[in-house]
Order: sequence, then C-alpha cells, then structure tokens
Amino acid sequence: MDRCVICKGKGLCGRPRCPILERFKAVETIPISDNLFGASPPSVFVGRKGYPDIFAGPLVPPNVGDSEARQYDDPKELLKIGIDEIIGLRSRLVRSYARMDVKDAKAPKNLFLLTSQELAMAEVPVDTEVWFTKPVDVNVAFDGTLMPMGPAGEIKSITLAENPKVPGKVDYLVSDTDVLAADSIRELHRHDISQHHITRIFSIGLLGRERRLVPTRWSITAIDDMVGKMLLDDIRDYPELRDIVLFTSEKFGNHFEILLVPRCFSFELIEIWHPNSVWSEKLWIGSDREGYGGKKGYSSLAGGYYAARTAAVEYLHAIRRQASVFIVREILPNYWAPLGVWVIREAVRDALAGRGMRFDSVGGALSEMQTRIRTPHDRWRDKMQLLDECRFQRTLMEFL
Amino acid sequence: MFKAIISAEALQDAIKAVSAVVDEARFEIAPEGLSARAVDPANAAMVSLELSNDAFTLFEGTEGEIGIDLSRFVEILGMADRSGEIELELDPDTHKLDISMSGLSYTLSLLDPSTMRKAPSVPALDLPAEIAVSGSVFKRMIKAAEMVSDHMSMGVHDGVFFMEATGDTDHVRLDLTGSDLIAIKPAEVRSLYSLDYLTDISKGVGGAGEIVIDLGRDLPVVIKFEPTSGDCKIKYVLAPRIESD
Repeated sequence: MDRCVICKGKGLCGRPRCPILERFKAVETIPISDNLFGASPPSVFVGRKGYPDIFAGPLVPPNVGDSEARQYDDPKELLKIGIDEIIGLRSRLVRSYARMDVKDAKAPKNLFLLTSQELAMAEVPVDTEVWFTKPVDVNVAFDGTLMPMGPAGEIKSITLAENPKVPGKVDYLVSDTDVLAADSIRELHRHDISQHHITRIFSIGLLGRERRLVPTRWSITAIDDMVGKMLLDDIRDYPELRDIVLFTSEKFGNHFEILLVPRCFSFELIEIWHPNSVWSEKLWIGSDREGYGGKKGYSSLAGGYYAARTAAVEYLHAIRRQASVFIVREILPNYWAPLGVWVIREAVRDALAGRGMRFDSVGGALSEMQTRIRTPHDRWRDKMQLLDECRFQRTLMEFL
Repeated sequence: MFKAIISAEALQDAIKAVSAVVDEARFEIAPEGLSARAVDPANAAMVSLELSNDAFTLFEGTEGEIGIDLSRFVEILGMADRSGEIELELDPDTHKLDISMSGLSYTLSLLDPSTMRKAPSVPALDLPAEIAVSGSVFKRMIKAAEMVSDHMSMGVHDGVFFMEATGDTDHVRLDLTGSDLIAIKPAEVRSLYSLDYLTDISKGVGGAGEIVIDLGRDLPVVIKFEPTSGDCKIKYVLAPRIESD
C-alpha cells in the first residue's frame, strides 16, 4: 500500500490494472452506440500504453452543444463544481482512439491524427462526429495525473462539422517547424494561451522541430516543468518579497497552506495523505524541494510537485518578487476519487488569489498553519527542511 | 583594455575559489591587478578575490569591469594544462574574452555587469579569535561534521580550537591544540554555521597550505587563504545560523 501513494496508478506493482482505480469504474453510463455527434471541449487524449505504439484521439461528449461542452475540460470551470459532478461530466466524455506511432507526428498522413491535431488547435468547442468500429465500452478511467475519462471506442471514421477557431499565435507556431518546442511554449505562454491549450497541442505533436506525439500524462508535467523553469529565469533577478505571507485554500478535500518567506527563491512541498484517502490506507507523508539553483532529476512527488510549483512561481512572476515558498498539501478522505494534477495547480492558484495573512515571524505563521492542518504538527514539521535554513541562517546584511 | 598572461595553476585555483560560492561574478580590472567580490543569492556567503599584477607574467589593464559566468569559465580553464600558461584578452569591440591555452583559443561571451547583483558591502566585523590551520585539517574537520549534521559550531574555549556537530542521532567533536594548529590568537568564542556553505568553501580551498579562520560569538566567520602565493588572496565571509526567530 505504501507504494500506491507514490505510483498513483502508473503500474509499479506489475498488475495489469490498478486495483484502486478499478473501484471507480462505471460510475455513470451513456447510451451505447457506434456513432456519436457532439462538441469536443476541445480535448484530445494521447495514451502511453505500448509506447511508442500508442492510442490517441479526441474526447467528445455525445449530444452536447458548443455552449455546454467547454465545462467538460476546462479546469477553471471544473473547480467550481463538486467532485461527484466532475465525475458525472467526465464520464460522459467519450474517448475515441486510433492506433498511431509517436513519430507519425513528424509528417502526419494519418487522417485521424490530422483531424485530432486540427481539433486540438481550437480555442473553443468544435462540433465533431465519430463512427466507431463497434459500440463503445462503458466505463470510466481514473488516474492520479489525468482527468477522469468516460467510455472509449476505436475510430472508424471522424469528421469535424465546423471550422475550428484557432488563435493566430497557435496557428503561427504550429506552422513553424524550425522553432524549438521550448521556444514555442515560451512564446505561447507570453501571449496568454492557456497552459491547458499549450499542453494539448504539445501532446498531439504540433510543436517543435522533431515532432512526436507525447502521452497526455507526460505532456502535463513536461509543460508544468518548462513553464515553471521559464518563469524562474526571470524571478531569480527580482527583489525579495517584503513580508512573511500565508495563503490557504481547500478544494475537493485537498487542503493547502502556502507560506511565502522573504528570501531568495526556493520551493518545498509537503504532502500529507490521510488514512483512507484515495491512494493510502494509513497516514503517509512525503516531501520534496529545490533550492535557488533549481531541481535536478524527477520529483519523488511526481507530477503534483511540478503543478504546485508552476502555480506558485506564476504568482511570484506576477508580483515581480522572489521568495522561499513552502506548501503543505493535506489530502483528506473526502478526496475520494483522483481527479488529476490540475486540482493541485488550480487550488494553489486559488489560494494565491486570496488576500493572505501577514506575519512578523515564521514562528507566528507556523502556529497559524497548525490550527488548520488536521494532522498534528510534530508528524510533518520536520519534513520542512528548508524552513529552518530560512529561519536560522542569518544574512551578511544583518552585520553591516 | 585588458591583456594578461598567467600560469594556468594560479588562475584555475583563483577562479575555482570564487565559483565555490557564486555562479557569476563581476571582476574589476585595474592597473594593480584583477579583483572580484560576490555574494551568494541568499546573502549568506561572500567571496572576495585579489589577484595582484605580480601574479601575472604579463599584465596590461586599465580600469574596467567585466561579468563572467563562472561555471563556463571553470569548464574552459579545466582544459588547460596545469603547468602551462593562459592568455586572456578582452576584445573591446565584441566585448568578449579571448582565452588561449595549450593551442586552444576560446571566445567567452561576457555578462553585462549592470544586470548582475551589485558587489556586496563588506561587514566591518570585530572578530577576537584567529586560528591558522593547514588546509588538510580544515577539510577533514568539515568532512567529519558533514557525516552527522547539516551544521557545525566552531569556537575557541580555554585556548583550544574546537569544531562540534550534532545531528538527529549522532555527534562529533574535534579539539585542536598546540602542534595541530599553525597559530592561534585565543578568545572565548563560538558560532554555528551551515555545512552547505562550509562544504562549498572547503571545495574552493583546494590544496591551500594554510587557512586563517577569524571567529567571534554568533558572528560571521572570515576564512582567508592564499592558493599559490601572496599574489593571490581569497577571503570568504559566512553569516552564522542563530537558532531563534
């Protein structure tokens, strides 16, 4: 069970299917048919099983129009509703797929891939009609990194019933096959293309020189990491924050305490999984961190680490300050189904959009945090390794 | 204008000492020689370098300032034969540094000094105790402390220089007196320092023969040494840890 909280459905135990994720199967059903028409939010999914021989295709909710389709895939919209409603919506999102090789993205000839790419570039929902080789399987797929998805069916034929509306910057960078993916991502982010949209076109193999299909799960974290690093390049030159500030938020049983301390940039995330929360039967506490120089290697807290960091550095970038960031994420039993790392990114953004409480000392802020975190502080306090560095290391300025 | 020839060994040791604490630094060029002063991003550790013109075989320099990415510079200098010589020349048109050694000639792009962190002011410290130890003793002391903790105390008690480190489970203490030391000016002092920084500093010390440590009570420590000869002086200043809010 200890391994589950780290793996979150990746398959580290060697079982063909994750027993925890199987529990959430078939929450809602949709009418079984071999044909469907609806507006894709827009959304595409690229699987990772069998890499580099993978399944990919658009997600389409049957009989859903343009105006309602957006909420099926927009993190900002999903944040406003309850966990049951999210699963309800997502389980009606049918995943159409076709077998592809990741390198097909280099010179796409496969009509299904071309259609998926065209759809992925769109900013608003696109009416789509799909015919399947046989009626779709009825179940819901859950995952620690990804949003839940509904039934899946293999594509026999697919058409877009309208022209996708594509932002100029997206069109421009997709047609540029000489620019590096990292530079395209920087450019798109600068022009306020949402991270969700960037991830979608990156995943379906529309960015960079050496284009590949990138499994959605990997794309999410890759974009989080790249956007985070890009913003940090600027942040390292910004002045330090003035006050010690504490922010808080709770979404779907994920409680967040975010402490910003005036100092050079560093980032630390503590995760406390309550007994009987999704991935763990007993209390599990993990932590990971990076100093001013940045992170080397992959985080032990996986995609959630990068999602939390992205949201935190976005805030620092917006206020043009640097700070040492400490995040405690406490996962309560009412986070009963995994919804994906967007929950972390959006919850941290939500917390940082609040006013925050100011403190004279780190000790004062810690006492305040302890009143809201359900787990006794002696269980998690010593995991905050960078905090002592922050509190006790004096600066040379103090001796001038 | 800047043009200089120096032994590879002297330049490698000097730059390695600076790069132990910072990734980039502003170097001042003057007729008397080359100097740099830089502080780490957390403002806890400072390094200063003075490389007098006597350290060079040839030195021609007028007042100026250049910004150098030290990790790149260290890599390039690593290609030089330690017993050979390195030639440096600032190209005034492209504002790049030409580096020639053992047949290789590099062009290193410089950083714009105006975009870099300002050179720090040096704290005026009254540090009553001064201890001189060999470079190898200094490094051994830090290595021993690192095994048990993230921080270590240094101090002088009853004329004995000591190091002490306490971790969650383990503890280590080293007392040095008499022949273990090169010299000591005793005073009752003790301060606590982060081993993250001290480890970096001990890497910068390289093969230096003698290290001079100035200590006070809950005050920054000053660590001085001369990597090759009196023509190059390195000084670190490290702020202490004080365990109260």
